[in-house]
Amino acid sequence: MATVMTIDPVTRIEGHLSVKIEIDIVNGVQQVTNAWATGTLFRGFEKLLTGRDPRDAQLITQRICGVCPIPHGLAAVNTLEDAYNVTVPDNARIMRNLVLAANFVQSHILSFYHLSLPDYVTCPAMLPWQPAWKGDMRIDATKSTAMVNNYLKALDINRKIQEMGAIFGGKTPHSPAYIPGGFTKVPAAADITKARSYLAEIVSFVENVYIPDAEYLAAKYSDYHAIGAGSRNLLAFGVFDLDQWGNTKLLKRGMVTDGSTSVMAVNTGAITEDVTNAWYSSPSGLNPAQGETVAAHPKGNAYSWMKAPRYAGEPCETGPLARMWVNGDYRRGISAMDRNLARAYEAKKIAKALDGWLAQIRVGQPSYLKAAAAATGEGIGLTEAPRGALGHWLSITSSKIGRYQVITPTCWNASPRDDRGTLGPIEQALVGTPVKNLTEPVEVMRVIHSFDPCLSCAVHMVRPDAPEQVMVSVQSRT
Amino acid sequence: MNVSRRDFLKYCGMTAAALGLSANDLLGLKEALANPNGPTVLWLQGAGCTGCSISFLNRISTAAPKTAGDLLINSVNLAYHPNLSSLAGDAVVDVISQAYTKGNYVLIVEGAVPTAFGGAACFAWSYKGVDKTFRDAVTMLASRAAKVVSVGTCAAFGGIPASGGNPTQVVSVATATGKATINIPGCPPHPDWIVWAVSQILLNKAVTLDTFGRPTALYSKKIHDVCPRKGTGEVKQFGLATGCLKELGCKGPSTKSNCPTLKWHNGVNWCIGASAPCMGCTEPTFPIANPFYKNV
Repeated sequence: MATVMTIDPVTRIEGHLSVKIEIDIVNGVQQVTNAWATGTLFRGFEKLLTGRDPRDAQLITQRICGVCPIPHGLAAVNTLEDAYNVTVPDNARIMRNLVLAANFVQSHILSFYHLSLPDYVTCPAMLPWQPAWKGDMRIDATKSTAMVNNYLKALDINRKIQEMGAIFGGKTPHSPAYIPGGFTKVPAAADITKARSYLAEIVSFVENVYIPDAEYLAAKYSDYHAIGAGSRNLLAFGVFDLDQWGNTKLLKRGMVTDGSTSVMAVNTGAITEDVTNAWYSSPSGLNPAQGETVAAHPKGNAYSWMKAPRYAGEPCETGPLARMWVNGDYRRGISAMDRNLARAYEAKKIAKALDGWLAQIRVGQPSYLKAAAAATGEGIGLTEAPRGALGHWLSITSSKIGRYQVITPTCWNASPRDDRGTLGPIEQALVGTPVKNLTEPVEVMRVIHSFDPCLSCAVHMVRPDAPEQVMVSVQSRT
Repeated sequence: MNVSRRDFLKYCGMTAAALGLSANDLLGLKEALANPNGPTVLWLQGAGCTGCSISFLNRISTAAPKTAGDLLINSVNLAYHPNLSSLAGDAVVDVISQAYTKGNYVLIVEGAVPTAFGGAACFAWSYKGVDKTFRDAVTMLASRAAKVVSVGTCAAFGGIPASGGNPTQVVSVATATGKATINIPGCPPHPDWIVWAVSQILLNKAVTLDTFGRPTALYSKKIHDVCPRKGTGEVKQFGLATGCLKELGCKGPSTKSNCPTLKWHNGVNWCIGASAPCMGCTEPTFPIANPFYKNV
């Protein structure tokens, strides 16, 4: 006899997520047999962006998310530069990479220590870490204490990583330095020296603390290499341009189906968003370049504010595992624990690139070239946030934003069912997850956290000129 | 196995050297564990982006609490924070309910309060299958709070979700709850501003507020009045290392904060220090409808 339960709030993520799961006994094992992921916050960024000067986009869109604002800033300026047909000076490209890299490494450390670790380790007996679920804690007291100490040390490291980024970016969250045409900051030799002074400690923490802890966890919880596989399709737009055209990147663009080692090129024309199970009455299956969004609630069996992004009709996972797999750096497997490991190894790969990038900055060379703004045009900006592939789509009309669409990594990952009823990646990953104790579904939390969800990003937005038809009633959200 | 406070301290003592904990760290922990009845704090997130919490975690100072961890371990009992709490679902709502019943807690709210669609553009939780809108949750929790702090421009004034026609009809926490709030605006606010407000409450000090509910101790001088670039010659192009940024759209002349003197990230930089014009993010008018930039 199946049990249905809702976990709301899912804590230790970014934003607002509700997960409903059906649990039953299959072949003698109590496990998740069905799952529904629901985004429970809607702000309407597209609507509020409409009519603004396009050059405001990177300032406003960063506020989609305060954990990963920098990728939005980068995607927005890339989108504008695509519409204006400009390339930026190398100094700008490099500083954009540096500030983005700081965001990635800080975010991955946060994800492991502050968001995921309490699922596995007994935390100190004080709020907010206690009360906690007690089940399935396999790490002894001494090692637990050491890992908890690393949790505290990680707060310190993250503060320092963000300091290093701010030398160029000004401040974070929400760096004002990203601007179409380049970067506001003019780098001096003293800036490079100061930034370099942070590197040893950051790289050492990633190599000698974070990775060993991640590997220790993977060894103690090795069964999670066979839990939480998800769709097994991996999508990466690629990130950290190593040349001015973005032809080479530190992490490549590409996609694979069903965990293949054969990497295919990405064609944005293959991206669609289904809305049958989302609270919108606008057409289903549109490419974001023609995207529409007319909110409608309640609606049939719809259960999420998130649309269902699909690539060639298939659900795709995005994130460190997808990037490292596409890049050929990690192919051990696809599972909850593989995500955690890939994230740690990616943090190291990015942290180690910082020194080389600092060496490439040319003091005295420009960081900004004024870009002639176009009165009309279209632009696409594809990049990566720590959690996965990020795309911005822009239409400029009469020098104003006519349409702005964003598909975020967590929209791919926490997507609801599509028009064919195929589950989204997190929903698929949850099916088959064992649940030993119905009152302590810690296994479910571990799978969800392996995706490092960021829900502020995931919820969709409203097309500017669509009729205002948003009606929501407070019913139970099935 | 639940690690008791006594056990935790014992393990820390035994392995202090290996864990790199200094004598000061241990002392701090001793103090914390000796005071399990410190003030209770509930931290809620509504229509926001979590940027305020990330900024808070960047706290660093020579004055106690020196870090965010310091504050959380030594000074308060953080009964709920969506990004930090171990429990989830009904179990964590039980913890919130217990605090609510006891009353007299500090309620910190990050994010604006949507009111469109009966408040359903943002849900705080679901308990025993019944959804609670964020508006209802924050109103309920504010009613028994000793103090309510609106952290960030969204909670204080509506902020970015309130702009561009306010698609989900967000209001400030003060408007939604009908209670006076201490407003700590900024997008995000500097961690020192957040910590200062909490510290004043812990020390039972009265906080003088301006007409927008902002502490005058933090938001009194216009940025332009104390800006190191004032009077150095107004530049008309981006990408220069020096010069006043008024002709690039800088809102320093109309924005109150201590950013020029406090600076950000342990003093390494700030917006204008990166030659980026101030956006005016501590003001009730943020974000302005007109373009932020000139000469871009």
